Amino acid sequence: MLKMTHLSKVYRTEVVETYALRDFNINVNEGEFVAVTGPSGSGKTTFLTIAGLLETFTGGQYHLDGVEVSNLNDNERSRIRNEKIGFIFQAFNLIPDLNVFDNVEVPLRYRGMKAAERKERIMHSLERVGLASRAKHYPAELSGGQQQRVAIARALAGSPRLLLADEPTGNLDTQMARGVMELLEEIHREGATIVMVTHDPELAARAQRNVHIIDGQVVDLAEDPRFHHSVMAARANSPA
Amino acid sequence: MQIKPILAALKRHKAGTLLIALQIALTLAIVCNALFIIHQRLDRIARPTGLDENNLMAIQNRMVGVEDKESGPLIRADLAALRQLPGVEDAISVNSYPLRGGGWSTGVHLNADDKKSKAHTTLYFSDEHTLATFGTRLVAGRNFQADEIGEADPKEVGDPAVVIISKALSDKLFPDSSALGKPIYIGDTKKPSTVIGIVERLQVPWNGNWSDTFYDNAIIEPYRLVSTFTNYMIRTKPGQLSAVMASAPAALYKTNRMRVIAPKNGIRTFAMVRESAYRADRGMAVLMGVVCAVLLGITAAGIVGLTSFWVGQRRKQIGVRRALGATQRDILSYFLTENLLIGTAGVLMGALLAIGMNLWMVTQFEMARLSVTYVLVGVVALLLLGQCAVLAPAMRASRVPPVEATRSV
Repeated sequence: MLKMTHLSKVYRTEVVETYALRDFNINVNEGEFVAVTGPSGSGKTTFLTIAGLLETFTGGQYHLDGVEVSNLNDNERSRIRNEKIGFIFQAFNLIPDLNVFDNVEVPLRYRGMKAAERKERIMHSLERVGLASRAKHYPAELSGGQQQRVAIARALAGSPRLLLADEPTGNLDTQMARGVMELLEEIHREGATIVMVTHDPELAARAQRNVHIIDGQVVDLAEDPRFHHSVMAARANSPA
Repeated sequence: MQIKPILAALKRHKAGTLLIALQIALTLAIVCNALFIIHQRLDRIARPTGLDENNLMAIQNRMVGVEDKESGPLIRADLAALRQLPGVEDAISVNSYPLRGGGWSTGVHLNADDKKSKAHTTLYFSDEHTLATFGTRLVAGRNFQADEIGEADPKEVGDPAVVIISKALSDKLFPDSSALGKPIYIGDTKKPSTVIGIVERLQVPWNGNWSDTFYDNAIIEPYRLVSTFTNYMIRTKPGQLSAVMASAPAALYKTNRMRVIAPKNGIRTFAMVRESAYRADRGMAVLMGVVCAVLLGITAAGIVGLTSFWVGQRRKQIGVRRALGATQRDILSYFLTENLLIGTAGVLMGALLAIGMNLWMVTQFEMARLSVTYVLVGVVALLLLGQCAVLAPAMRASRVPPVEATRSV
């Protein structure tokens, strides 16, 4: 589903070159739930923005759903983002001027979908996250957990091949975070491929597989003993 | 299209939206009426007088040391001197002439007992040299003969037996036939005057709003007015105007030194007469043009400013839309459509305001009714202006990268 080979991302200024990702390799199979972890500044978010085609990379190869994306133009990248990728952001990123229904509708409109089909998909997605009754509410009228559920509904409405989640519970309290995490697990059980960036060992422990990044490179989790220990402890305490 | 969500978003930004829509409405209302006024003024300036303007000059003359009634022979002597000058085609003394600014006007009746006049007209008093001097073309009938010309005290002008009228007046008096040979009643008289000639065109001396309804209606009566104050019109041969401008006053002073010809406006070419007559109209047209340009500029700047502010404010939102699959073109289209919706609301209000403003001016200042064409052209122009003004900030918005969605504010 997602394969990056020897990928690099370099930020250049007049005086310095900074490698955000260096010789980065990752392979995510269809139906997997992968947690990408690492300390702050390790390159997690850079990985996610490149994986989501929000940013270009400097070198290497990236295949998404069998397509090599490095030579795609801006319109083609937009189309792939719209059709194949669902985003869940830490800050929810709902559009404050639009109500819940209209927010979920945004990616579907860009796909040029007919109104009747849009409505059906929106209502189905909102029912799935338990917010069908809040369709006419504005984001400011919802709790953080509810806003993130709307963002998940928006990501799911387009039936994407890949869900990318950037610290999806980072702005939520424990109870709301648990609810959102359970929802992601449920979505995964239904067959979705999920790549979640997090620095929370408890969340990472709930994924099928962990990919740990340090200094822009994928490393063995054991190379970060403290984090490794936290993940192992979380797994041991997990009810599953 | 994205109209529904854009409208929903605009509802949440009522103040900015309403202000820009009102600005567009006001601009449309003022610009439509201003352009209408400009067009009216330019139309007025372009009206032909019916005269051979390129070869005409006017002298404003006042005899001194004599009574009005003694001035007849002096005027005849002046005319003889002027007509003999090299380069002169012909010359007349006349009470007024087109665009002079002051003159006589009266009503014309078709029957002696008619209470209401059929048309309003100006009156020119002069002799059989009038047509040749003015250079106006006779389209029917004949000119005056020398024996038909009389001399009259301006305070006691009688009813002429024969008159020459302009075609516009003929058409007004007799829409279905020619006035030639027919009797007309000038002013309150019971005595008819027979129309013996019709000239193609002869404008009235005024160019203000009040004469707009009869600006081409003129009657020439066969009288030389005997007065110490008179206007001489001189038509020169082609290319001789400058020379006659210099020689004519000298010839007049040679005939009789007891006269005053004002140094400033006493001797004028017809080009100077026209320039002076339409100075206010030209000034008004320029002023209205400047007002239009300033208003359009301010409105465009307002649209650029508000859209730029909104683009800055929604940078993250644009990034989110891009992340969710919007192309650069989608973002551009979003801002153009948003502006079009605000613009449409503005021009709808503006169209009503423009018509209302015009109706008010019609009642207050006797202005003409605003043509719907102006409103339609104004609507299209304002919408285009809005789209042009929004283009730069909208393009800036379209270049916001999708990665903006992941950045914290």
